[in-house]
Amino acid sequence: MSRPETGKPPLLDVKDLTVSFGGFAAVKNVSFTLQPGEILGIVGESGSGKSVTCRAVMRLLTGAARAQGTVALDGQDLLALGEEELCAIRGRDIGMIFQNPASHLNPLRRIGQQVAAPMIRHLGIGKREGLLRAVKLLEDVGIHEPEKRARSYPHEFSGGMKQRAMIAAAIGCQPKLLIADEPTTALDVTVQARILELLKELNRKTGLAMILISHDLGVVADICSRVVVMRNGEVVEQGPIDDVINRPRHAYTRLLIESQPGRKSYGSVGSPDRGKSLLRVENLSVTFPAGQGLLGGNSFRALDGVDLEINTGETVGIVGESGSGKSTLARSIIRLNTPSGGAIRLDGQDVGALAGEALTAFRRRVQMVFQNPYDSLNPRLTIAEAVAEPIWRHGIADRKTAREEADALLEMVELPGSLRDRKPQQLSGGQCQRVGLARALALKPQLLIADEITSALDVTTQAQILELLVRLQRQRSLTLLYISHDLAVVSSLCQRVYVFKAGRIVEQGVAQQVLSTPRDPYTQALVGSLARLPTTQTIPLSQGVATHAT
Amino acid sequence: MPLLQLIARRLLQLTGVLAGISLVTFLLLHMAPGDPARLLAGERASAETIAAIRSQYGLDLPLWRQFLTYLANLFSGDIGLSLRFQRPVSQLIEQFMWPTLFLTVYVICLAVPPTVALAILGARRPGGVADQIIRLVGIAGLTIPVFWLGIMMSRLFGVSLGWFPVSGYGAGFIGHLHHLFLPAVSTAIWLVPVLTQSLRAALIEKTTADFVTAARAQGATERQIFWQTMLPNAVLPTLNLLGVMVAFMIGGAIIVETVYAVPGLGTLMVNALLGRDYYVVQGLTLVFAVSTVLITLLVDLLSAFIDPRVRL
Repeated sequence: MSRPETGKPPLLDVKDLTVSFGGFAAVKNVSFTLQPGEILGIVGESGSGKSVTCRAVMRLLTGAARAQGTVALDGQDLLALGEEELCAIRGRDIGMIFQNPASHLNPLRRIGQQVAAPMIRHLGIGKREGLLRAVKLLEDVGIHEPEKRARSYPHEFSGGMKQRAMIAAAIGCQPKLLIADEPTTALDVTVQARILELLKELNRKTGLAMILISHDLGVVADICSRVVVMRNGEVVEQGPIDDVINRPRHAYTRLLIESQPGRKSYGSVGSPDRGKSLLRVENLSVTFPAGQGLLGGNSFRALDGVDLEINTGETVGIVGESGSGKSTLARSIIRLNTPSGGAIRLDGQDVGALAGEALTAFRRRVQMVFQNPYDSLNPRLTIAEAVAEPIWRHGIADRKTAREEADALLEMVELPGSLRDRKPQQLSGGQCQRVGLARALALKPQLLIADEITSALDVTTQAQILELLVRLQRQRSLTLLYISHDLAVVSSLCQRVYVFKAGRIVEQGVAQQVLSTPRDPYTQALVGSLARLPTTQTIPLSQGVATHAT
Repeated sequence: MPLLQLIARRLLQLTGVLAGISLVTFLLLHMAPGDPARLLAGERASAETIAAIRSQYGLDLPLWRQFLTYLANLFSGDIGLSLRFQRPVSQLIEQFMWPTLFLTVYVICLAVPPTVALAILGARRPGGVADQIIRLVGIAGLTIPVFWLGIMMSRLFGVSLGWFPVSGYGAGFIGHLHHLFLPAVSTAIWLVPVLTQSLRAALIEKTTADFVTAARAQGATERQIFWQTMLPNAVLPTLNLLGVMVAFMIGGAIIVETVYAVPGLGTLMVNALLGRDYYVVQGLTLVFAVSTVLITLLVDLLSAFIDPRVRL
């Protein structure tokens, strides 16, 4: 599949594309071509200009953006088109799908109408015919009971179904090119795998050419035949995917590959001597009231009889998709959620029964780092103040000494001293997450809970944060509870792992073992969904992709 | 059908609200200064006469029995007798209701089209010349007191130019339109800026919404995007605001109706208050409260019709 057919003129030819916002050039002299039937990947971190490039191709940028260069689709320069000609091409010759399907669907219109709209607009068919075709398309993209579902509204769809509906709307007019801007980033891994499968199948069956934008090299390697690597608005490397991955020429590409979760082991496996039990969770259940009916309605069980144990000095991973209850567990341990049954014991003491002085002591021993680095820091405090706050609040030191300790902590998480008086919004996501770590460590906790702390970060930043975490753990003999949706990260970091599904533990064991020989069908699905780079230069990649697609 | 479920649920809630309203209006009269029996009998009545009136009207019964009687009367449509006009309050309200309703609908018709037009104009280029002018003129319209504007307009258009009558309700539909034009315009002048600011802000927020980008990527023209995607998504907050304003106008048309001598509920309210016509005040309070509840219900149903997520 998707081998460029040489000799044919390219479908899309981007030459010296430069996009600037005011004086700032977000994309600089980017050139690439796309052959008919080919899938091209564009990889880069946030801010690398990959999305801007594709939006410039579609001319979707705001009025403040200036695009120069040429973008030729079948020889026609898109940058020179008038509004009317542009509308005739958008959705007709080029379809586009986006990162967050939930916000890209109009919440007020039925799915069927939204899928039918581009066809009614471009193909001159009637509403009834459009709806009939929309139902057919929904069926094609794998939505069950398409006739019924076409009458649903977006909020009645799950994330994966919304993305399928977006794909259906994008391919309705049988475009020549589909631009997919991070199409699976907002989705769970198993859903991601199915959406990628669907895209591959579309490419194979209809010869639809695609540009896939992703920050995830694993995803790109899974589906693309060629890849463009971008950084700071420039193309640093491009070529066939197996060349780029196995023989990267640019240092940045190498870093990107190195940072892939699962490529790297963080070497924390070195403490197999089982310490004594620190935290025990016994038959824990948490229920939330659901629905707002007058008579209470039925309640939702976020956690259902969970048992787990964490020993001193251990790194324990918790893996599961969104809604599996892993964050609820973390919040229950630090008493942000009240259990409806079962108990949590720290050193044998029931956490739920703590009060007063004992509770304060417990809070010092157990600290948490949160998922969103920006939201979890007070925007009005400088980062040094944010780190110092827990120290003086707990009466460990006066404010002045706390400030000095904060400086030491910031240094420990490798933040330069020049940043100490900045506010969170002046920092990058990775820097903020370091602040979050420093703040959590300020009280010298025994147990650190890390809830998806890298999921909002780029892969290279993620790798740095994980390295930092491992170093801190070794230095301070921390016990770590690491929560993530990413099995690859967990397995490279943790000694033991618990797999959560729908509020229950479906599998537990030594991390490497769970990853290599999963026993539960759900874990098998999780492992199978991992879009990973081939580990070494063993598999010629184009061939590997081809077998995958059949 | 979720929409029907919503209506059923809201109607159920409505009965509770109505019960509360009737209790409050009932207590209102009892907390008012003065004894209704003395008011009826006159200042110089003997103690026996007052006692006789008290027992005749049931005023000597315990409060809860009086409330039950009041409720029973409410159900049969009897909300008392006007002391001044010696006519049933319900008749009075029905007579004075139409000018107020006409005025309210008139104001809505006058206010909504310019609101939409101005909001679009302002939102097209936020901070641009048009936007600034609209905002400045809007603030001016908001700050001018309605009574002053009313007096000025009736002097200019009514007295000096003689284009519009300065008082009354007129006869027939055209007559109503003619007579109520100045009052409606004076009200619309402060209503339009409020609604415009709300709609403009919502429109600006929606111009950068992801689904607008998606619609553009699917080849929709700017006109289609505006009417089919942006406006329906932006209109809900303004619709809710309009509901509040309309409810307020029905109960709060006092100034405009007094200035232009419109024989509406506001005028009736003022006269009843000045004349201590307690049962009329009670009846009007009830009507205002019920109309507010009904308008809120109507707005909620409209919102649910526009936005399926509201039905949850």
